Amino acid sequence: MLTGEALYDLIPQRPPIVMVDALWSVGTDNAVTGLTIAADNIFVENGCLREAGLIEHIAQSAAAFSGYDAFSKGLPPRLGYIGEIKQMRIAGLPCVGSRLTTRLQVVAQAGMVTLMSAKVECEAPNTEKTVVAECQIKIFMTE
Amino acid sequence: MEKSEIIAKVNHVLAEEFEVEESIITPDANIKNTLQLDSLSLVDMVVLIDNEFSVKIPSADLVKVPTFADLYDYLAQRV
Repeated sequence: MLTGEALYDLIPQRPPIVMVDALWSVGTDNAVTGLTIAADNIFVENGCLREAGLIEHIAQSAAAFSGYDAFSKGLPPRLGYIGEIKQMRIAGLPCVGSRLTTRLQVVAQAGMVTLMSAKVECEAPNTEKTVVAECQIKIFMTE
Repeated sequence: MEKSEIIAKVNHVLAEEFEVEESIITPDANIKNTLQLDSLSLVDMVVLIDNEFSVKIPSADLVKVPTFADLYDYLAQRV
């Protein structure tokens, strides 16, 4: 749907901190994003993405999802802040060359705060797709 | 569900979730002030109500339920 630099219209981050490289689909209350782990990713250590990188990827996925609404109306991306992350579960650290697919689902909204659930799946060469992270994330969007 | 059951359940689950004494929840009390909800925790109340009553409160409707009495009425019309 949107990949690479086209995502810059949806999120305020710029290289080297961009942690989402694809927005595969957007529904009214759900979205699917992606990221291929590059060797020069700033969150990579010893060949694998660190926990902070997974969290940043989830947060930027949520930002891209939220930003799509403004983008579709021709408006600049709104700034979003992580309000809270809870029920975080990290089952593995994806290594360089892996492909992340992240499914976001809106759980509830109240004013400018949106609570989403996120599930990150990892697909690496010669391995089965596995869930590497799950959480609920609250995003506070500015006007 | 009878309205009295709704009131009892609302008071119980909200008091437990937001760690306040159930006795301070009165019909005319302001929900945000009583439960000390900020903009981030308000969404937790929406989730809790959905989980307990299967009623989704849209953002636009939150302004219609400033007090517990308003919330009881809102739920009574939907459960």
